[in-house]
Amino acid sequence: MRPHSSLKQEFVKKWMAGLQRCSFSNKNMSILERKKAIKLSADVAMASVRNSTTCWSRALISSASKDGSDNHLVEQILGPETESNRPAMANKAQTRRASVCKKIVKRSRRIRRRGRRKCVAAAPAKALTSTIAKHLVRKRTQVLKSLIPGGEFMNEICLIEETLDYITSLRIQVDVMRSLAAGASVRASE
Amino acid sequence: MLHRLESLESCNFNGMDVAVLQRQAARLEWQQQQNYVVQNNNLVELCASSMPQFQGLIGRNLGSGQMVELKRPEVFLGGDGFQEFMNFPVAGPEFGDSEKLDLVPPEAAADYCISRTSSCQMTALNTSVMKEEREDMIPEKMESPTGSCRESFNKRKPEAVADHKSKNKRIKGEGESEVKTKCSTEISRNSSKENSKASEVQKLDFIHVRARRGQATDSHSLAERARREKISKKMKCLQDLVPGCNKITGKAGMLDEIINYVQSLQRQVEFLSMKIAALNSSVEFNVENLPMKEFPAYVANFPAAAKLPAMAGLPYFQLNPLQKESVNCMLNESMLPPQTATEGIASASVSISEQSLSSSSMTQLQPFPTWNMDPQGLYNMYNMGFH
Repeated sequence: MRPHSSLKQEFVKKWMAGLQRCSFSNKNMSILERKKAIKLSADVAMASVRNSTTCWSRALISSASKDGSDNHLVEQILGPETESNRPAMANKAQTRRASVCKKIVKRSRRIRRRGRRKCVAAAPAKALTSTIAKHLVRKRTQVLKSLIPGGEFMNEICLIEETLDYITSLRIQVDVMRSLAAGASVRASE
Repeated sequence: MLHRLESLESCNFNGMDVAVLQRQAARLEWQQQQNYVVQNNNLVELCASSMPQFQGLIGRNLGSGQMVELKRPEVFLGGDGFQEFMNFPVAGPEFGDSEKLDLVPPEAAADYCISRTSSCQMTALNTSVMKEEREDMIPEKMESPTGSCRESFNKRKPEAVADHKSKNKRIKGEGESEVKTKCSTEISRNSSKENSKASEVQKLDFIHVRARRGQATDSHSLAERARREKISKKMKCLQDLVPGCNKITGKAGMLDEIINYVQSLQRQVEFLSMKIAALNSSVEFNVENLPMKEFPAYVANFPAAAKLPAMAGLPYFQLNPLQKESVNCMLNESMLPPQTATEGIASASVSISEQSLSSSSMTQLQPFPTWNMDPQGLYNMYNMGFH
């Protein structure tokens, strides 16, 4: 991975560009709108730093461009890099197909589980604890999947890799934003 | 065996064709490779590369009705196995013959390979020499002690005995040799490189199929193990990354911690964007030099509100009313023009560098000890990009 500082610089550059575009478009914004724009631009900048090499960044951009109200914002932020919108469209079809597949898998799993329940009842306590542990892990994995953008369609290895990447970029984002906020507040108090 | 025959044939018309020399060199190389591979008893790599190619070639050869390919097996199997051999390209990777050729123990195979290479270096060969070699090669195979080899054993045995002892079979052997010579002449007539290549690939395929059959069940568990190792490695990385995750053992606890961390980070982003939005407007205030009486109160309010969610991980929405109220009372008076907004941000970021140099007031705002943003670089970057 590249060193932290260079990632940070890239992120700041992209974010600033996005903010510029945002603020040029709308002259009058309420605080909430502005907050939304800032967050969106920060997210999109963070994702575009990754250059759509990771799943979560692609999912983030595509989900941002999917929302009707935010669509124009994303277009403005991404602006020149219109080709990054196209994979988002391709992703849509993929996700639809994936959801269909998922349904089928779920249905089959339900059937299998019916059979398994009898086995669990018959099994000794040791096996039962292990199944409980597995269940806990599965539950938490699902929560994590819901947290990470585009996590619903990842397998376990992919999910953990993406989580690693996502956490590092979130930290960068938080760092930059915090420093910006602190700077702004200091300047404001002067 | 087939391979050996091929090499012998190539030796036969060594003088005629110059290209054969090259072929031979290539074959020698291949044999060495194969020797090594067989000795290690690990055939996967070699096989995996050659399989699909081979099948295609076989299909083509049979389709075009080239007799060369069919005659050689006839020679080599002594008529008995011919039928099986005919079957096998149709059957694909699961043909029954593979078992037969499969199970040469490593030492025997190595010997076999060596004898092959030596035979390759002979220049002039008559049919009797060939027969001899074939005969001493078959007992070699029969010596193979593995129990799983028994099947091939049974099939081979009569043939070998025939070659050794009975007169009847010897005649047959002579017939074979005749066929062989015919074969070689035919090949020399054709003497196309493609042919030799095809046979070579064919040879490779034998190895290929066996390895595949042997490790079919094993690969699953291997893959599973590799996957689990990968996951645990990645989890270790995550453990290093997520603070407070070092002491926790067990996957569920670790996942809990990771989830909490990600959630807190997301909330922080959410909150910080709010803060920046608010401060941005306040900076605009400053730029436009408007009177601001309520501003100190707001600033006094804000850090207190800011510290709570970041530190305790509380959802910041609880603080929303307070923020909104204080922000809204400020915002009622002025809306920022766009250009000055970006200027405000830029100037704010310049002030970061000042602040991080003095960094005493920063510590109360940031819960994480890792603050590795270098002020110089950021400052330069801002100057470059935005001024």
